[in-house]
Amino acid sequence: MARSPDPQAMAPSRPGSTRTAPPALPADFWSRPRMRTYLLFDATGIVYLLVGLVALRVAWALAAGPDAWQALMRSFANPLYVLFHSIALVAAIFVGIRFFRLFPKAQPARIGPAKPPPRPLLHAMLYAAWGAVTLALLVVLGGVWP
Amino acid sequence: MSELRKRTFVVTRFDPDVDHAPKTQSYEVPCRPDWKVLDALNFIKDEIDGTLSHRWSCRMAVCGSCGMNVDGEPKLTCKTSLSDYGDTVEIAPLANFPIIRDLVIEMDGFLEKLESVKPWILTAKQKAAEEGTYRQSPEQLAAFKQFSMCINCMLCYAACPVVAQEPHFLGPAAIALGHRYNMDSRDEGAAERNRVFRGEGTVFNCSYANECSEVCPKNVDPAAAVNQAKLNAVIDWAASFVVQRDR
Repeated sequence: MARSPDPQAMAPSRPGSTRTAPPALPADFWSRPRMRTYLLFDATGIVYLLVGLVALRVAWALAAGPDAWQALMRSFANPLYVLFHSIALVAAIFVGIRFFRLFPKAQPARIGPAKPPPRPLLHAMLYAAWGAVTLALLVVLGGVWP
Repeated sequence: MSELRKRTFVVTRFDPDVDHAPKTQSYEVPCRPDWKVLDALNFIKDEIDGTLSHRWSCRMAVCGSCGMNVDGEPKLTCKTSLSDYGDTVEIAPLANFPIIRDLVIEMDGFLEKLESVKPWILTAKQKAAEEGTYRQSPEQLAAFKQFSMCINCMLCYAACPVVAQEPHFLGPAAIALGHRYNMDSRDEGAAERNRVFRGEGTVFNCSYANECSEVCPKNVDPAAAVNQAKLNAVIDWAASFVVQRDR
């Protein structure tokens, strides 16, 4: 999936007197491990789009009444739906891990008098919050509480 | 005398007077085990082919002039040990830059981007000499010191996927430098720079691939600077509705 950079990438606003060759990228630029991970991260957007469409279908079934709801629940047992939801779960975990790794260093050194906590603590807080929200959702959606 | 190992260097060549497009040329070099990539290039230049053009100066990762793509990865060649590579090493000019000749890239576009973020201390009024020096606490220094360690080697531009596709994007080093001055307690030009950050080469082009920080030889972490700058630019934009600005 090699791709040339924009021919104007990093070109000066006024060309110099020397003829230059257009910028180039290594042929395997997009297939390098770090770039592959990044592209995979970007591609999860497609999964979220599809999850959004499924959510719309859920909302429509809710509005359409009990029969439509039951039909929807039955359709979710289809192996293709199970596969899709499994992929969506993996995508969410992958994005979460990448986001939590990169998020702490995007924090400003301080906001007014407040300094952010040390990065390891911030990491731990993010994972703890993620775990707590997941647990709360499982408890509510699983019918354990209320 | 340590044992020499023969390696093949596949080097990009481009002569603007003769070539339509860059091509590669291979050189066999007897390399010492402790050599850096730059040592091999200098050997080629001195002993094999005097027409090869490449930039270098300090040989100690300070001047930032010897950046090249080594086996596809942007590296400072004076800091990159040949022992980390196989028998064949590909050396190309930094990706994403126009090529002037062989391994020499056109850096005027980069300098324009650097200049556009006004990388100097902006103050509404210059302090009189009799008022003494500007004072800064270690904590105030720590707020930006990391971002002031950039040596302008441009490796981050060669690694950034957005630079490759968005010619107007300010890019990692320029944004990190502008952010460095925005964080400086002596500076009063943050609003001015934030306007540049929200302008044509906007910081919001950055998709946080983090490649710039991965390749930075000085651990400046430009991706951190860019993403902190995004937040500051938004806060500054929101504040501009309620706070009157002189500059």
